[in-house]
Amino acid sequence: MAERSASYADAVAAVARAEGNLDLVSDELFRVARALEGSDELRMTLSDRQIPAARRQQIVEDLLGGHASDTTTAMVSMIVAAGRSTDLAGIAQEAVELNARDRGRSVAEVRSAVALTEDQAERLAAALSAATGHRVDIKVIVDPSVMGGVVATIGDEVIDGSVRHRLSQLRDTF
Amino acid sequence: MRRLWTAAAVVVAAVALSASAVNAAGETIGSCIFEELEGAQFEGIEGNGFTAVKELKTRYKADDDHAGELIEEFESDLEGCLEAPNPIFPERTEIIWGGLAFVILLALMYWKLFPPVKNLMEQRTQRIQDAIDDADRQRAEAVEVKANYEAELADAKTEAARIVDEAREQAATVRADLQARAEADIAEMRERAAADVEASKRQAIADLQSEVSDIALGAAEAVIGRSLEDPEMQRQLIDDYIARVGADQG
Repeated sequence: MAERSASYADAVAAVARAEGNLDLVSDELFRVARALEGSDELRMTLSDRQIPAARRQQIVEDLLGGHASDTTTAMVSMIVAAGRSTDLAGIAQEAVELNARDRGRSVAEVRSAVALTEDQAERLAAALSAATGHRVDIKVIVDPSVMGGVVATIGDEVIDGSVRHRLSQLRDTF
Repeated sequence: MRRLWTAAAVVVAAVALSASAVNAAGETIGSCIFEELEGAQFEGIEGNGFTAVKELKTRYKADDDHAGELIEEFESDLEGCLEAPNPIFPERTEIIWGGLAFVILLALMYWKLFPPVKNLMEQRTQRIQDAIDDADRQRAEAVEVKANYEAELADAKTEAARIVDEAREQAATVRADLQARAEADIAEMRERAAADVEASKRQAIADLQSEVSDIALGAAEAVIGRSLEDPEMQRQLIDDYIARVGADQG
């Protein structure tokens, strides 16, 4: 499944490079994947093979039209028509990492209970870059389950400074 | 059976014939007296027979003493006719006829009577012998049956004793097993009860600890949750995180 997602991400990156907007497409694709994670109804609808592919593509175009680039809309529409909407999160993650590698950077998935300010995002990226020894781009996901603080995931490394994690540690000590 | 009847008839006829022959040869008292009167001769009296007797009677009536003596002597002779025959030695003719009849009878008996009687006796002897043999055989069989019965009875007694012993041993074994099992069950129940009590105790302690920790954590989460509603607190937490990540590098 990971191999299939990587292949789809390569295709998306190739199209975006050709269009010269890989940075934008990967970012939009990441946001679309996050939105899909947050809506069970939308995810089930787009993965329902009983619904004709043209109808599912129409839904995607209706949702993204005017809010995302044409390349991103076309790529998401193609993925949904291929029946791989459930792999969209993995494809987006691979595309983001491909874009970062193109620019000599790593990607950190940052989850926070509230949105980070630009200043916070820049300082966090700088701190993570300093901590890992190479430049890091951050992708912020607002996740209320974090409760407070930040959880940053860079590849296989997780730096958890969330309130949820501290409460869990406290519960384990009991 | 027919031979037997024939032999009996021959015997009866022979007896009848022999009896007639004996009577014909015998002498009666009357004939004896008649012969004495017919041949009578007296001394001093002429003639003989009845004439002489009449003359003697006439003289006796005339008181002739001599005649009286002769009459007394003649009466003695007549009384001799009244004497019984010899009981030991019969008349010769009687002996002859009797012997002849006896021989004939004996011959007839040998010829007709003895064979069937002999056969009857042999048959009777054979029947008795058969009966004796049969009785002996039955007695032998009875003895054998009795011996078998006694042997079977002895075997049955032995078998019964063995069964009783086995039953007794099995009962003892079963009783011992049941007792051991009951003791083991009781020990196991005691151990289980003790373990249950210990487990319940531990569970109660754990539940209490969990309850206490849940209460404490719930209170902490409530306090933290209220404080996290403050945007400044969220900002502070993020800034602290950034500072800590940066400090790790430094």
